[in-house]
Amino acid sequence: MSDHEQAAPILEVESVNVAYGRVQAVRDVSFAVPEGGLIALVGANGAGKSSVLAAVSGLVRPGSGRIRLEGNDITRWPAHKRVGAGLVLVPEGRQILGTLTVAENLLLGAHRRRRQAASETEMYELFPVLAERRALPASALSGGEQQMLAIARAMIAKPRVVLLDEPSMGLAPKMVDEVFAVIERIRASGVTVVLVEQNARRALRAADTGHVLETGAIAHSGPAADLLKDPRVVKAYLGVE
Amino acid sequence: MAQQLANGVFAGSIYTLFAIGFTLVFGILRHLNLAHPAIFTAGAFVGIEVATRTEIPVWILFPVIAAFGALAGVLVERIAFRPLRGRDDEHFAGLISSVALGGVVIALLQARYGTEPQSFPQEYFPNQLFEFAGIRVTLTQLVTLGLALVLMLGLAWLVSATPLGRAMRAVAENPTAATVVGVNVGRVTAGTYALSSGLGAIAGALLALNLGQAGRELGASIELIGFAVIILGGLGSLWGAMAAGVILGLAEALTIHLFDSTWKSLVAFALLFAVLVLRPRGLFGHVKVREV
Repeated sequence: MSDHEQAAPILEVESVNVAYGRVQAVRDVSFAVPEGGLIALVGANGAGKSSVLAAVSGLVRPGSGRIRLEGNDITRWPAHKRVGAGLVLVPEGRQILGTLTVAENLLLGAHRRRRQAASETEMYELFPVLAERRALPASALSGGEQQMLAIARAMIAKPRVVLLDEPSMGLAPKMVDEVFAVIERIRASGVTVVLVEQNARRALRAADTGHVLETGAIAHSGPAADLLKDPRVVKAYLGVE
Repeated sequence: MAQQLANGVFAGSIYTLFAIGFTLVFGILRHLNLAHPAIFTAGAFVGIEVATRTEIPVWILFPVIAAFGALAGVLVERIAFRPLRGRDDEHFAGLISSVALGGVVIALLQARYGTEPQSFPQEYFPNQLFEFAGIRVTLTQLVTLGLALVLMLGLAWLVSATPLGRAMRAVAENPTAATVVGVNVGRVTAGTYALSSGLGAIAGALLALNLGQAGRELGASIELIGFAVIILGGLGSLWGAMAAGVILGLAEALTIHLFDSTWKSLVAFALLFAVLVLRPRGLFGHVKVREV
């Protein structure tokens, strides 16, 4: 995927630090995401992967460092403004709004980007399972369906960059396959993807570039295919297949 | 008897309009805004002053009062609640600071208007009387009921069918999830306070119009009834507050009819305790307390 490496980075994270009280969750993390690329952030539970996404999406304010989207410094932008600029998070644990209907969840996702947004119908074509359930409260969906709704709610905004936080967590193996198929479709449509996963092997197989986080800092970086073969990464995160 | 019931419905519509301000803010933001009765009182005073100075017609007066209330609500949130955001005791501290802010508002009203009750100008509102099937109704009462109905149905529509309402329900359920999808939670919060206080200020002016005058204690006199309405209806439930407001108005009216007016608060609150014992979630707060 060397053509992606040469493209100008659409998202740049520069020496970002995040602390919760006295606990340092992210230490000096830097990486760049080329437009149209798919990068994976992998690592153990508590390594700081989700905190990196929280900083990028504006849910937490980094203590120091810079975040740039298409060259603009967005470090101090509130979260809703980042959504408006096309930087959309699919959060860990899905965070769908269970008391709202499936359709209302989608409309919420589209609202901040009314001009660019896709239509509800387009999302139902991409995620047929949601079409039948459009009038139901989202809490009535199964875990896998809720994950599809969370992704659809981000995709309806026609994002420039989508941040996926543990999209396969808690799903049955068949659903995990479906989620990764959807991720492939998203990247094929030209949307840049940052994928955070505990399922390191799956994530690195899907990605062009990978970064391995350990206790809040990037320990290894490189083309995903190389990381999959790197003995240190294999030993610590991939194990035997 | 029928006359008393009619009076009960009119009183109940004001109770409801007032209580909805409590329940809306609580349902969406989990704030108990105890400055609300002071905004209610201020709405009455502002209405009287504007009516006296400008003699604008009633149909312009009420939008003016609503605008005043909305602005006051935004300020209440800024002053009494926003600075506390993120504290562990955010909700309890906000309750206290809103009591304090309510006290400030009442003191400011006293500084401006003195301790004497203020009255609407003579003949400001046509003193017309209608009779339906032996029930006598004033034009003021009819306008009160009509306005309350229109406002409540309008609010229900806004919450259930507009983008703002959708965002409000998203914030009510999960502020973080709402932020993630791009809801500007600060703006929704301000909008919720504006709506709630706008309705509260109109309710205050309506009560003053029915009484012909307003004193500093106008809000304090209705505060407990407002609590009773939201507990009875289920905290956070709009439809519950609407039904409970009318039920309380009717209960009071019946008490006055059967005994005398000294018993009316007793019966209202006995009803409240009975409901708390029998249906702790309130008459309509079935599954989710925060259903808007």
